[in-house]
Amino acid sequence: MKRKKLIGSIVRYALYAAVAAFFIWAISNSYFDYIFSQSDTFLVLLRQHVVLVLVSSLLAILIAVPAGILITRPKFKKAEWVFSNIANLGQTIPSLAVLALMISILGIGFQTAVFALFIYSILPIFRNTVAGIDSIDKNMIDAAKGMGMKPHQILFRIELPNSAYSILAGIRTAVVLNIGTAALAYVVGAGGLGVWIFTGINLFDNGFLISGAIPVTLLAILADYILRKVEYIVVPKGSRRVEKA
Amino acid sequence: MINSLKLIPLLVIALILSACSGVTGKEVTVGGKNFTEQYLLSEMTAFLLVEEGFKVNQMNNLGSSVVRSALINGQVDMMWEYTGTALITYMGEESISDPEAAFDRVKELDSENNIHWMNMSEVNNTYALAMTSERSEELGITSISDLADYINDNPGELTMAADAEFANRSDGLPGVEETYGFSFGSGQVKQMDLGLTQRSLDNEQVDVSVAFETDATIRSYDLVVLEDDERFFPPYRIAVTINEEVFEEYPEIEEITARLADRLDSNIMRELNYLVDIEGQSVSVVAYDWLVESGLLEEE
Repeated sequence: MKRKKLIGSIVRYALYAAVAAFFIWAISNSYFDYIFSQSDTFLVLLRQHVVLVLVSSLLAILIAVPAGILITRPKFKKAEWVFSNIANLGQTIPSLAVLALMISILGIGFQTAVFALFIYSILPIFRNTVAGIDSIDKNMIDAAKGMGMKPHQILFRIELPNSAYSILAGIRTAVVLNIGTAALAYVVGAGGLGVWIFTGINLFDNGFLISGAIPVTLLAILADYILRKVEYIVVPKGSRRVEKA
Repeated sequence: MINSLKLIPLLVIALILSACSGVTGKEVTVGGKNFTEQYLLSEMTAFLLVEEGFKVNQMNNLGSSVVRSALINGQVDMMWEYTGTALITYMGEESISDPEAAFDRVKELDSENNIHWMNMSEVNNTYALAMTSERSEELGITSISDLADYINDNPGELTMAADAEFANRSDGLPGVEETYGFSFGSGQVKQMDLGLTQRSLDNEQVDVSVAFETDATIRSYDLVVLEDDERFFPPYRIAVTINEEVFEEYPEIEEITARLADRLDSNIMRELNYLVDIEGQSVSVVAYDWLVESGLLEEE
């Protein structure tokens, strides 16, 4: 046990050191300068990036969670494979290809990028919703029926609270992936921090590359942190997984 | 038995080594940038070199500065480069408006980098700003000066489509804005893949777009190229840049690429770009057909 702890802490501090070294290297080469010298552009790109992620994630939540609930109703059980395959398909088409295909329909810019990100986010949310509801102990549902609960009561009082952890895990996965994928929005002229990443690639300029990539990384970490907090509030005490640190 | 077993690794090594070299042992890597004209040039060069017994590797679809770095560090042996791009973006020099003088200057400067320039062609693929003829009439903008005046009178109204490279290169938009004394403003410049810039102009999603002199879309989308009345853009003639050592090893490349450089001009280039960009033919087919047509390649 002691040895495990030791190794764990060595790895952790090595990681901290690596991150610190990276930032020292980047700052000493003044690779973050563009964020300050072109701060108005940076803020525009950051806002575009956040809006892209928010709109597409919200749409995906609004579609995928109800779809997951619907599929787990006894009436629709048979249709599950149809939905699952559609969601799987959305995840397997490379996001760049979705972007390219949608240009001819939605034109260039914001809506195309949102659509591609939305398609990309559906699967993890849908799958986790279904898995969460399916994992609930059948005896609990039976007990609820025995108490005389109506189906909608069972859904809102038993099923959703008990699968909240799983649903939120899906949302977290989708949003964090989405933040990284949104960097591709540059290609179709929807802006976002990907503009600087691609500028860095095309001009061979590490300053642009890092000024674009690090904020994207931080956004992803921040989103993950916020959603963890949300999870803590939403998930009922009884079904909280105790995280072993 | 033991002896023959010992031979196996040697055999393997021998095979690997022999696989590394072509039939004649002549091998070059041709680099190319990320737009149609460059795909075509790279493809044609590859066809001709293969015909002459070279084994050719291609590294295409790279940003200008990326492929340039690859040329300097030897990952790429040769590529078609533009005099203006080298002069201003790579070397940070002042613009030179005479094509010959510009070529001589980059040739002189690049000898320090172990890069040899040769075979400048007539193709001048200068950057340009384009608008749809309709919009240009409506706003009365025919030159970049007009555009500068209009933007200074109506800030924040016009939008522009550019790729990341043009939007941030010193001989691109920042240089144009500085020379003509105006600024689109951040958020007004929509950056996207180069292939979509004129398309978004055609869809009326932007007012101005980056364009190249040899762009096929200028004709097919009925675009107006704004006159560069302050002569900001330098000449962008294409020429072969090649690593010195590779050139010493295979001096025949000069004669082989000269066949291309002597025959190509801006009109032919625009025509070939048209076949790929507008008619949707494949780069290889267009390159091969043209080489056969001009008698540079025997039809097989």
